[in-house]
Amino acid sequence: MSRSIQLLPLLGLLLLAGCATTPANVAGTGTQLETRQIQTREYDTLDKAMTIRSVIATLQDLGFTIDQADAELGTVTATRLHEYTMRMTVTVVEKDNGRISVRANARIGENSVTDAATYQDFFVVLDKSMFLTLHKVD
Amino acid sequence: MKRALSALRWLGIGGSLLLMAVLGGCAASIPEAALRLPESTLEVRSIQTRTLAAPSEIDILTATIAVLQDMEFNIERIEKPLGVITASKVTDADSAGEKTGLFFLDLLCAMGGGSGCDAMSTAQDDQHITLTMVVLPSLARSGEYTVRITIQRVIYDKMDRVKVLERIDDAETYQQIFDNLRKSLFIQVGEK
Repeated sequence: MSRSIQLLPLLGLLLLAGCATTPANVAGTGTQLETRQIQTREYDTLDKAMTIRSVIATLQDLGFTIDQADAELGTVTATRLHEYTMRMTVTVVEKDNGRISVRANARIGENSVTDAATYQDFFVVLDKSMFLTLHKVD
Repeated sequence: MKRALSALRWLGIGGSLLLMAVLGGCAASIPEAALRLPESTLEVRSIQTRTLAAPSEIDILTATIAVLQDMEFNIERIEKPLGVITASKVTDADSAGEKTGLFFLDLLCAMGGGSGCDAMSTAQDDQHITLTMVVLPSLARSGEYTVRITIQRVIYDKMDRVKVLERIDDAETYQQIFDNLRKSLFIQVGEK
């Protein structure tokens, strides 16, 4: 039998594996923790409400429209339509030690944004926005 | 048998090419500056933002909702503690002028005895507009409220394919909405 025939099932498997991006470890160690780490920052400058206000201002500065916001749960979901569709969900949670944790998730089209640099960029903009809110600049 | 093997070999090569195409398509290319502020940020922010004086937060929120209704938007969600109002509408993307032109084109074509006059069928793109208004008490001055509007639209052609994805940045559109909001606020306060 030709070698190409033997390779066919393997090819089929590879095709099926195709675009699977779901981490194999659903329960979450390693990659999951790492993802959480690059998506999260902690602040101790503003309270929860003012942090959410800064998050909304940041998203608007970045060209997003706000789809949904919930003050109690601290969740803001926003969409940006520009060349491609980008969606973000940002969660603001007050921790037991009084610090405020901000976690951002981004998707572009059907892909999840996983690179640390993009989240770093987001938090740079948020830092500036929080600084302005702290100093009562509208 | 030889022919069958040859066909399978070609199938193998074809499969490999397909695989390369599929894997190539999977490479999630994240635009490098996806979450960096563009240089135009300050300019866009000033186009989209105004500070207005109002007797109370309820007054300015009510006036804002009324303006959105005036502009034929549907209110989708309101989160009062955060001052976030989300609204949307679906409209025709073609201007009335363009439609009239197409109509007369069809009319002339039909009068000339032509068949298959369907210039009008090239019209009727739908545009879905989403708008967010964030109305919050000013941090700097009490009794004043900052209002920031962001608008985006998607234009679909008749086959429901996305033709345009864009943020609306033109100053005139925002100015018009703020003018309407000022009027709405004036009426709202006057009615009390």
